[in-house]
Amino acid sequence: MLLIEDLQFDYSAEPASNMHFDLSVEDGEVLSLIGPSGSGKSTLLSLIAGFLSAQRGRIVLDNNELQALPVAERPVSIVFQQHNLFPHLDLYTNVALGINPSLRLLPAQIDAVRDALARLGLAKMQRRKPAELSGGQRQRVALARALVRRRKILLLDEAFAALGPAMRAELLDLVKTLVGEHNMTALLISHQPSDALIASTRTAFICEGRVSMLAPTAELLAAAAPPELRDYLGSQ
Amino acid sequence: MIIPRAIPASLVLALLALLVLAPMAGLLHLSALPGYEPGDLRFWESAYLRRVLFFSIWQAVLSTLFSVLPAILVARAFAMQPDLPLRRLLLGLFALPLVVPGVVVVMGVVSVYGSDGWLPMGRSLYGINGILLAHVFFNLPLAVRLLLPLWQVIPQHHWQLGEQLGMNAWQRFRFIEWPMLRETLPGVLLLVFMLCLTSFAVVLTLGGGPRSTTVEVAIYQSLRFDFDPARAVMLALLQLGLCMLVAMLTLKFQRMPEVEIAISAPYRSRRSTLSSVVNLLLIGAATLYVGLPLLSLLIDALQGPFFKMVTSSQLWQAFANTLFIGMSAALLSVLAGWFLLQYSASLARQGRVTGARVVELAGSIVYVIPPLVIATGMFVLLSPHVDVFDWVYPIVIAINALMGLPFVVRCLGPSMRQSHARYHRLCLSLDLQGWNRFRFIEWPLLRRPLGLAIALVAVLAMGDLGVIALFGSTQTATLPLMIYQQLGAYLISQATVTALLLLLLCLAVFALLERGIGGKPDVAN
Repeated sequence: MLLIEDLQFDYSAEPASNMHFDLSVEDGEVLSLIGPSGSGKSTLLSLIAGFLSAQRGRIVLDNNELQALPVAERPVSIVFQQHNLFPHLDLYTNVALGINPSLRLLPAQIDAVRDALARLGLAKMQRRKPAELSGGQRQRVALARALVRRRKILLLDEAFAALGPAMRAELLDLVKTLVGEHNMTALLISHQPSDALIASTRTAFICEGRVSMLAPTAELLAAAAPPELRDYLGSQ
Repeated sequence: MIIPRAIPASLVLALLALLVLAPMAGLLHLSALPGYEPGDLRFWESAYLRRVLFFSIWQAVLSTLFSVLPAILVARAFAMQPDLPLRRLLLGLFALPLVVPGVVVVMGVVSVYGSDGWLPMGRSLYGINGILLAHVFFNLPLAVRLLLPLWQVIPQHHWQLGEQLGMNAWQRFRFIEWPMLRETLPGVLLLVFMLCLTSFAVVLTLGGGPRSTTVEVAIYQSLRFDFDPARAVMLALLQLGLCMLVAMLTLKFQRMPEVEIAISAPYRSRRSTLSSVVNLLLIGAATLYVGLPLLSLLIDALQGPFFKMVTSSQLWQAFANTLFIGMSAALLSVLAGWFLLQYSASLARQGRVTGARVVELAGSIVYVIPPLVIATGMFVLLSPHVDVFDWVYPIVIAINALMGLPFVVRCLGPSMRQSHARYHRLCLSLDLQGWNRFRFIEWPLLRRPLGLAIALVAVLAMGDLGVIALFGSTQTATLPLMIYQQLGAYLISQATVTALLLLLLCLAVFALLERGIGGKPDVAN
């Protein structure tokens, strides 16, 4: 279980920019984060990944605190909207980097890379460069790398925002399945409420640096109780 | 009345053809006459030619390696220290060598490394050592400025992924930085190699002896010292061949983005103290290397016969000549470049991409043909008919304007294309044409690159020694030629004062033109 407790972060000295998060995510769960631009969704993921350091609070995974760990040692994999792959490396190498950046892999690790690519439907494309793939295929490669890394937390920062609705739905289904199979904990940022409906049982609405509402997805989208959420959903 | 863009552009193209092709034809015609045959094996197989050719290439290879390899480390150090205090000032210092004339750098190098300098090298300064020191002074900062933006186009997510995947410094370099460097490095290496291959003022003043002469300097020596136009013609053809080869390779390897590239915000990851210290040491060493000659020159000049010299009418005559040649060449070059680029942009907009590219390439022709080769062609072409020394101003201005055209094309071209692509239809719909279009649309959008282009060409022409050395005399001398003459007469302290005056003139003209025409950055954009 991932627990975010009293996590505080300031971009500047202004009190208005103070962010303050409390949240918990179960094992095997994909929690969606929705909210207006600048509300703090990506900041929360950066704090969990370690790209930013919180001024206060705790990030706890299975009773282990993560804040003191450097980025590389955190049990986290992240998939961004773009620039997930190194354009000069083929798919195999892009995924293999997830296991060992020196690329010196044991036979079992080589098999793991191939299995992950096969699992994501990319078995025959191992030697292709990212430029030869569609947007959806590129994100599949990034997911394959997340799989071989065997890290407990998966962060998806608008990972599928640039894809069409059908491809997005397909990949969200895939994420849900993979998270379940590997008992991961995933946080998914999306601007599409429909994404949350597909991928998540629960969804958090983030507004002005806080978790404004956390509820079962369908209930949250239907209720639209806080005025900010109503405004946000109304503008969709 | 609106004049179609094709008319002034065609005039410019015709003039360009005349200025480039006529001297070439003159050289080729002469080379076919008895006694001039380029096929004369005695010349091509002579030890002299082998020595000159070997030295030209050897000094260019060493200068390129000693400039670009450290530049990679220094550019990386700058990229990794986005919050370094005085970073902008230091990068400004690295832009200085672009506007400092070669002969001034020579004086700075002599001032630091000469027998009375701070780090004396004695006689060994003259020859390959001095040439390398001066070439690295010019090209290390240039390479740093060319390479530095590469780190800024690396997506921030790549740095973050590298950090998350636990890459060490070597792996980050291998997977994130090197692929991007590899694309651009051959172009930068070839550009610096070309600049060193065609370097004239540095080799003439710090080399020039029988053991350290390049083809470029040998052409000059053949014409002015040995009065042997036949040898000059053959050397000019050889230099032309060399430069064309390098230019073709450069075009093949050059990766220039067609549109403005997105610059990422500098990534601030947690760097170790050791790597920060190494970065600061690298930046400090490079800054000292670039700053020391200029500082030493300033001190030496102020300790020299400064006040006695500034009352000399000969000095002010040379000052006026320099300013006149610089401003005239800049005006001519920018005017020609403007017409060419306007025409090229309108062709591109009509979908005639090849035509547009040809017109633009015509403006860069001098990149392939060294100015001294053109000057030699003019010299041999005109000398039977007129006294070339009476024609010094038009010839020197025309060739310097030609030398400046590639800079105009590079500075102004992208903005001109962008302005056409974005606003041409809007201008048509509003019936904005001619003067009004220039005043309301083109001037505000283009004044910054225009200011930079005119300032660059002016200081390049003011600092030129090659063409003026061929055609100039004591009466028509510019400041660079005067420095060369003073050095030849071992009047080192006078030469230092003249060099300081030339440096101050170049900096003042650059700043005035760039700011005066370009305006403040936020006004233009």
